[in-house]
Amino acid sequence: MVTTTKIVDIADYIPEGKLSNADLEILYPAWPAEKIFEKTGIRSRGIAGPDETAGDLAYAAATKLFDKGLVKPADVDFVILCTQAPDHVLPTTACILQDRLGIPTSAGALDVNLGCSGYVYGLSLAKGLIETGAARCILLLTADTYSKYIHPLDKSVRTLFGDGATATALTADDNGHGAIGPFVFGTDGSGAKHLIVPAGGFRRPIDETSGQEEKDASDNVRSANHLYMNGAEVMAFTLREVPRAMDALLSKAQLSVDDIDYFVLHQANRFMLDSLRKKLKIPVDRMPVFLEDVGNTVSSTIPLTLHSMLEQGRLTTTKRLMLIGFGVGLSWSACILTLQGNQK
Amino acid sequence: MSEFYNGIAEILEVDESAINAGFDLHAGEAAWDSLAVVSVIALVDDCFNVMLNGQALTQCATVGDIEALVEAAKKA
Repeated sequence: MVTTTKIVDIADYIPEGKLSNADLEILYPAWPAEKIFEKTGIRSRGIAGPDETAGDLAYAAATKLFDKGLVKPADVDFVILCTQAPDHVLPTTACILQDRLGIPTSAGALDVNLGCSGYVYGLSLAKGLIETGAARCILLLTADTYSKYIHPLDKSVRTLFGDGATATALTADDNGHGAIGPFVFGTDGSGAKHLIVPAGGFRRPIDETSGQEEKDASDNVRSANHLYMNGAEVMAFTLREVPRAMDALLSKAQLSVDDIDYFVLHQANRFMLDSLRKKLKIPVDRMPVFLEDVGNTVSSTIPLTLHSMLEQGRLTTTKRLMLIGFGVGLSWSACILTLQGNQK
Repeated sequence: MSEFYNGIAEILEVDESAINAGFDLHAGEAAWDSLAVVSVIALVDDCFNVMLNGQALTQCATVGDIEALVEAAKKA
């Protein structure tokens, strides 16, 4: 008997607060709403309220997952939360969620501090825990509130990022049908400075100087307390590493592009996805896009896309997917995900 | 009209017949800003299979300056 790992169900949660292109057009007159949509593929983004944390978003997504009835809190024996906006410096937000969600105290819980590559890393941890027999039912949560890191007048990032969360239940599959893997990973810490909130940790604590606002050459305003993205470097990194990761994974899995039904990439923005699709030579109908009403939700983009595909009935029969996450770190990862189609 | 000039015209939001080596990058309808630079990185990768440096691109004044960067990157 071979134990594999399968996804049982996925739920999503996007906060009620919204930021539309019409709202942004007022702040950035040079960028009309329609131009923002054309470039980014995004019309609206979910924005967490002032008192709404990533922990709250993850809680809401997990509650929706349990309400769907396939998994109960009592079934869960390990919680993994991927976030870069934890509720506290300490304790671990996943520990707080164990209690809030009514998950047994016999469960393990930990946070993973990764961004756009985080969901695939989370799947690899879940697979490791399940297939070594360390756990049977994993609650994998992704939640972020990048909006809290973004200066209102920084259009380079405010047009892209939205807040959101997802909850994925994974269990052992003793029939060996559903399967996750193989995986490839990648890290290039030399690019850490290209996507960063410079102040707020111990390398540079928040003080009077860190809050000093500056305007860049493209008229974007930010301080060291805010999110900074060097778009050119991130684009170059993505176009360099994602094709390599795809090739490495295909070769590791002994598959070709034609063996993959869908390529589910991190939903950075439409322009980047179009550039990648062209370079990877993937037909448009095999690379789903789910951005328009949510924006780039960091580690939630891949599970949100999977969730929308489930809702649209695109995964009712057995499908082989390639998931690729890439971004802040710089960090990337890719895996094969075979879905049996018995999920809703 | 080359694919590259065509792409540059789209990014700067000008008619493609206006694009030549001497074209001033700041003369287009769209600003020569960080978004345009990101777009040109993807365009050059697509057309010439080389990766340009964002900072060097930002400092370009004309289409010819970009072409010089492409030539240098091809030889590197």
